Amino acid sequence: MSYDTVIELRNLVRHYTMGDETVKALDGVDLDIGRGEYVSIVGPSGSGKTTLFNLIGGLDKPTQGNVFIDGVDISQLDAYELAWLRCRKIGYIFQSFNLIQVLTALENVALPTVFAGTPHEEGLKKAEKLLSSVGLGKRIHHRPGELSAGQQQRVAIARALANDPAIILADEPTGNLDLQTGQEIIDLLHGLNKAQGLTLVAATHDLKMIKASDRNVWMRDGKVERIERG
Amino acid sequence: MVYFTISDAVRLGIDYIKRRFQRTAINVASIGLANSFLTSLIMTDLFYATFNEYQGSSIGVDAYQYWLVAVALIVSVVGITNAMLISVYERYREIGTMKCIGALDQHILMLFLVEAIIQGAAGGIIGYFLGVVAAVLSSGFTTGFNIIFMVPITELLGYLVGTTILSILLSIIASMYPAWRASKLPPVEALSYEL
Repeated sequence: MSYDTVIELRNLVRHYTMGDETVKALDGVDLDIGRGEYVSIVGPSGSGKTTLFNLIGGLDKPTQGNVFIDGVDISQLDAYELAWLRCRKIGYIFQSFNLIQVLTALENVALPTVFAGTPHEEGLKKAEKLLSSVGLGKRIHHRPGELSAGQQQRVAIARALANDPAIILADEPTGNLDLQTGQEIIDLLHGLNKAQGLTLVAATHDLKMIKASDRNVWMRDGKVERIERG
Repeated sequence: MVYFTISDAVRLGIDYIKRRFQRTAINVASIGLANSFLTSLIMTDLFYATFNEYQGSSIGVDAYQYWLVAVALIVSVVGITNAMLISVYERYREIGTMKCIGALDQHILMLFLVEAIIQGAAGGIIGYFLGVVAAVLSSGFTTGFNIIFMVPITELLGYLVGTTILSILLSIIASMYPAWRASKLPPVEALSYEL
């Protein structure tokens, strides 16, 4: 299958300075990810998965090299444009869900629509629809603390979809879940990828996720070790 | 463009206050007590002045008591700064998350300042009424408890507005540094923070 490229990484380098030492978290990564593709970034901890995730998501700046999203070099963007990108183009899913504890599931999902300037009522309607599409239609007024881990991750997925992003970035989305729940989350993500043509990039070391993906990028010591088709 | 209006900030700010009521209550109490101290002094002064007008006497409030009020106000500002800083630490991850879904620095700043304003207003109003009650009780034995009805209502209202505005200003000043810190947090750092 061929895709047009939505994410391009060119000679991506990210160094951290810790005291006198320089840690090469990423050491020259080149990678193209196509539209609608499901790519797993795999590797032991410390291999640079999360750093890569942060750079693709515009949460961190590379020491060297470029990240292109839809042909735009995101290191050239100012704070406004970067916020726009995070808000509209990319949906984030985290290992620890990162829901806002004081808000209900519905308000959590509606929050990105607030930043996108969607009228309040419309945003809530959208959030309600998304929550029922992830199977939480009856729990929209629960707070994160009243939901199970799997349900919280579903809320997080619904939130990631709130502004119809082109790309979903997931950092170990099944890392805090039991096997059964993890599988359900993978099925949900995989379904979104196939049904809606969402580009899905997931950092993981969950074998079930690796099996589901189109391509697996194996990382080691900040470099791409090998790429294999799923 | 990313949109986030004052009314969104107010809505979210009220949510935060409702659901983290304890911390807010401490801040409100801190401002409220300081303002009640200030109000009781102003009111006692006012009652004495009114009393003097009718009776031709010359009783008053000692000037050094105003210094004590100034100290109380400063202490409350420091206390609020401390409480707000803790509140920023507690919300590190939330701030990171909000930045991930499109919040700009100024939106985070706005959220914290909205909370500060609401706290200041609540503390100011509560403190004012406590202060008036305290002043009536403390000066009533000298001037008679009906003294409060001899003071023009416009003057009472004027002090209500004045001290409430002062309380809001103090709350904003106290929250400026914590809010600024929160808004400048880099998202990656905020997200990886474990409390």
